[in-house]
Amino acid sequence: MSKVELGQSLRRFEDQRFLTGRGRYIDDVNLDGQARAVVVRSPYAHAKINSIDTSMAMDMDGVLLVVTRDDWKREGFQPMPTKSAVQKNADGTPLKQPPRHCLAMDKVTYVGEPVALVVAETLQQARDAAEAVDVDYDELPALVDPVAALQPGAEQIWDDIPNNLCLDFELGDKDGTDAAFAEADHVVSLDVLNNRVTAVPIETRGCVADYDAATDQYTLYNASQNMHANRDTFAEVLKIDKNKLAHIAPDVGGGFGSKNSGYPEPPLCLYAAKVLGRPIKWINNRSESFLSDTHGRGQTARMELALTADGTFLALRINTIAGIGSYAWTVGPFTPTGGSARTSGGPYAFKAMHFRGRAVFTNTAPMDPYRGAGRPEATYNTERIVEYAARKLGFDPIELRRKNLMPREMLPHKTPMGLDVDCGDFPRLFDMTMDMANKADLSALRAKTEAAGKKFGFAIAPYLECTGGGPKEYAGVAFNKDGSVDMSIGTSSTGMGHETSLAQILAATLGIDVERVRFHQSDTTATPIGGGHGGSRAMEVGGSAVQQAAREIIELAKPIAARLLQSETEEVEFEDGSFKAGASSVSMNDVIEASQDADKLPEGMEPGCLDHSSVFERGIISVPNGVHAAAVEVDPETGVVKFLGYWIMDDFGKIINPLLADGQVMGGVAQGLGQAFLEDIVYDPDTGQLVTGSLMDYGLPHADEIPHMEIGYYEGEPTEKNPLGVKGAGEAGCVGACPAAVNAVLDALKDYGVTTIDMPLTPMKIWKAIQSGGEHDPHGLLGDAA
Amino acid sequence: MEDFTYTRPSSLSDAATAHGNADDAMYMSGGQTLIPVLKQGLAMPTDIVDLNAIGDLAGIEVAGGFVTIGAMTRHAVVAASAEVKSAIPALAVLAGGIGDPQVRNRGTIGGSLANNDPSADYPSAVMGLNATVVTDQRELAAEDYFDGMFATNLEPGEIIKAVKFPIPEKAGYAKFPNPASRYALVGVFVAKTASGVRVAVTGAGQEGVFRAASIEDALSGDFSAAAVDGATVPTDDLMNDMHADPEYRANLIKVMAKRAVDRANGQG
Repeated sequence: MSKVELGQSLRRFEDQRFLTGRGRYIDDVNLDGQARAVVVRSPYAHAKINSIDTSMAMDMDGVLLVVTRDDWKREGFQPMPTKSAVQKNADGTPLKQPPRHCLAMDKVTYVGEPVALVVAETLQQARDAAEAVDVDYDELPALVDPVAALQPGAEQIWDDIPNNLCLDFELGDKDGTDAAFAEADHVVSLDVLNNRVTAVPIETRGCVADYDAATDQYTLYNASQNMHANRDTFAEVLKIDKNKLAHIAPDVGGGFGSKNSGYPEPPLCLYAAKVLGRPIKWINNRSESFLSDTHGRGQTARMELALTADGTFLALRINTIAGIGSYAWTVGPFTPTGGSARTSGGPYAFKAMHFRGRAVFTNTAPMDPYRGAGRPEATYNTERIVEYAARKLGFDPIELRRKNLMPREMLPHKTPMGLDVDCGDFPRLFDMTMDMANKADLSALRAKTEAAGKKFGFAIAPYLECTGGGPKEYAGVAFNKDGSVDMSIGTSSTGMGHETSLAQILAATLGIDVERVRFHQSDTTATPIGGGHGGSRAMEVGGSAVQQAAREIIELAKPIAARLLQSETEEVEFEDGSFKAGASSVSMNDVIEASQDADKLPEGMEPGCLDHSSVFERGIISVPNGVHAAAVEVDPETGVVKFLGYWIMDDFGKIINPLLADGQVMGGVAQGLGQAFLEDIVYDPDTGQLVTGSLMDYGLPHADEIPHMEIGYYEGEPTEKNPLGVKGAGEAGCVGACPAAVNAVLDALKDYGVTTIDMPLTPMKIWKAIQSGGEHDPHGLLGDAA
Repeated sequence: MEDFTYTRPSSLSDAATAHGNADDAMYMSGGQTLIPVLKQGLAMPTDIVDLNAIGDLAGIEVAGGFVTIGAMTRHAVVAASAEVKSAIPALAVLAGGIGDPQVRNRGTIGGSLANNDPSADYPSAVMGLNATVVTDQRELAAEDYFDGMFATNLEPGEIIKAVKFPIPEKAGYAKFPNPASRYALVGVFVAKTASGVRVAVTGAGQEGVFRAASIEDALSGDFSAAAVDGATVPTDDLMNDMHADPEYRANLIKVMAKRAVDRANGQG
């Protein structure tokens, strides 16, 4: 048994289970009598559905049910509208969205779109029958490129949505920005690509759906990271009261945003479970996951930076176009618009900024959250145009950045994008990061690299984040007679370690042994509300809810302590796990024990009176920030990049568990480097078929490609936006990694005249850039569309 | 995966008989390609004839100027073999770089050659060292064995027993891995033998492994990395995919050849 503190590196309790194969994931859930479901998916990117003939499939061995659009229409099931935080175009009109049903209705609009659900006794029978569902299609031209989709005269995916435009969003001061550009000594402009990626969690999506006719109650076990919101969505689809649906996730093997959305398969399985009166299990395989999981990033921005002659930043103009797939998914339209606007400009001081973002329908898999959801794009775009300006105009890239950082005395400050930067010390973190890198003796590294015939590059990338996700969170605490403490929380860990860090907050605040805490999450029957996981919110909002509940429990316990101490409640103070009144004290443990015993309780208090729940609601999102720096070696013969060093300073406010914070940072960097060097969702531009449909072609980072990272935390600027003083840590790693890595490579390529290159920086792309001598069209990606 | 009949014979003749009696049989060696292919439904044989119980197909022997490796010898065994490391170190290096530890502990040299994946490593060693493929029916010279991508001149039912590698004066292997799959995007095996220099390229050719004549010519007079600089690698028959176009592959062939030569010369 052990006492713990905030700020202590506590090893993860859940790892024993995960690392020894004892985690309980969705495929480990098996209910009596369950049948297996397989989704029939569209083989075409864009086609009219003439007919669906299920007769052959229904005649096959073991087949129980084939669900088609006819069932959906007959039942009157509802589409899933987008929950995008931005719902209006710049002109005030609402965004455009086609009805998104769980099955394709009149047409299919991407390869992998669900067309039918086949249920059979066994998985193999369901797979065989899925191949026997005869769908008659008329193929239509496929739109893959959002820039082309926007052009007048382009094929229209939806008859009533002109130019395939879902959302045209603007933020900032257009006139002020124009004026600043007019007075600028220098203007640089460059199109920057954020490559389309997908999360590839180790555990693919899947669910087990059950229906109990006796109670008219549905239970959905689902590999999801967003239990309550999706419970509501699925209930709306099926037109049932949401209290009739219990939504539960067992252990979830990675999400990264891709398990956040309201997906079509769970409602299909719930419907099938009711029709058949049997539990239905559906597990997506890896190939299907590439086709049908949501994708992220995938936007192109025209970046324009205005500077004075001495390199002072004046204004920034951003014009982004993103293909969001054929429907407006759960938050899909938000990411390339509002989600990408907020942290644009990074930690630099600007007089004015203007952002325009267009979300465009394309015949590709849906776009929805992916670790950072717009903020990594914003930082990357900003850092790329800054690097381009330095290289084009002859400024030292490090000095140019240092010079333009918001000074500490400028804070608190509302940026031209409306972001409320309450605290931080950007120049200090910048200098601390440079000091870390300089300890590695960069000039010696450079000399050694060049002596071996390689090219050396170094870059530093400050970043600005904004975190918090859903604003409300619930924490419930119940004390059991066996000494255990049940803690229920509405956040959802998909492997991040909440079982440890949130228990740590409860135990540290109450002063009880951490081993007593039993962790419950991702269950709509266990918590009345829950914001799930997204926006690096678990510590900021969930941790605050836990601490708030614990502090309230201490207050509830004071009358009991007073009775035990033969004192008055007002005299009792709590410190280090003990209640004190004068010279005498009683431990929290003793008070908890007394709270179960009617004889020891003050009048009017009942056994179990310390069981308590609390809802924390944050105000404005917090603003983590930090600096990444990278040193790389480029082999000019092959284009291969090797890291020589990687340094990070993060301001996440107060650090609750440094070990877990390290894990978040390292994982985020690995994911960012995956995007920077390897990962790329590629569709055939003519047919809309997915080219990178397996791990043979979709490159994920391997452990041996991830550099050792030196990580430091600056805790001198805790935020007052939440009681813990924390700022979200979950996504920052992949915010800083792409710009640090790519700009370091550009530094290594400067002797060849290379000033821009687009992710992923595959060896071939780097080698080709060297061969081309840096020749490029800065507006080659967006042309006249920006 | 479709249903199939599984047999596990203990002799070569029983294996051949089982294969011959089936409608559409496939041999299974290490299964590192076959099992995934079966799971994806890309192959649907009626019968799988598992060769793993045939005892005398595995083993390494060095004698008479040859390294002979039994067809069922796992990559990890070749990589760790003191005899191979001493006789043809490049071959041990090659085997130690195939796939990942699981693949190396299950996959076999015979299975790799029978499959003849255009991105596999072993074909370059067989071609580069002018090895002989010994089957239950005959002996095939390297030049006569390969027949294009995923194709060989093995007859239906014919089983590889062993591969005989002549020991070269020196040899080297250098591989550039596909960034995603880590199969060879380009792998070059260079050997200096009594009868001349051989340079074999895997991963790059539309027809599978091939000899790079221009590099062989360049190295014949001067077995040094610098000599490769002057060679021109034609791009006509090179593969083109999202990871490497023919121009980049041609460059990698030269760069990997240089690194292989350096290794052969003890400089890599």
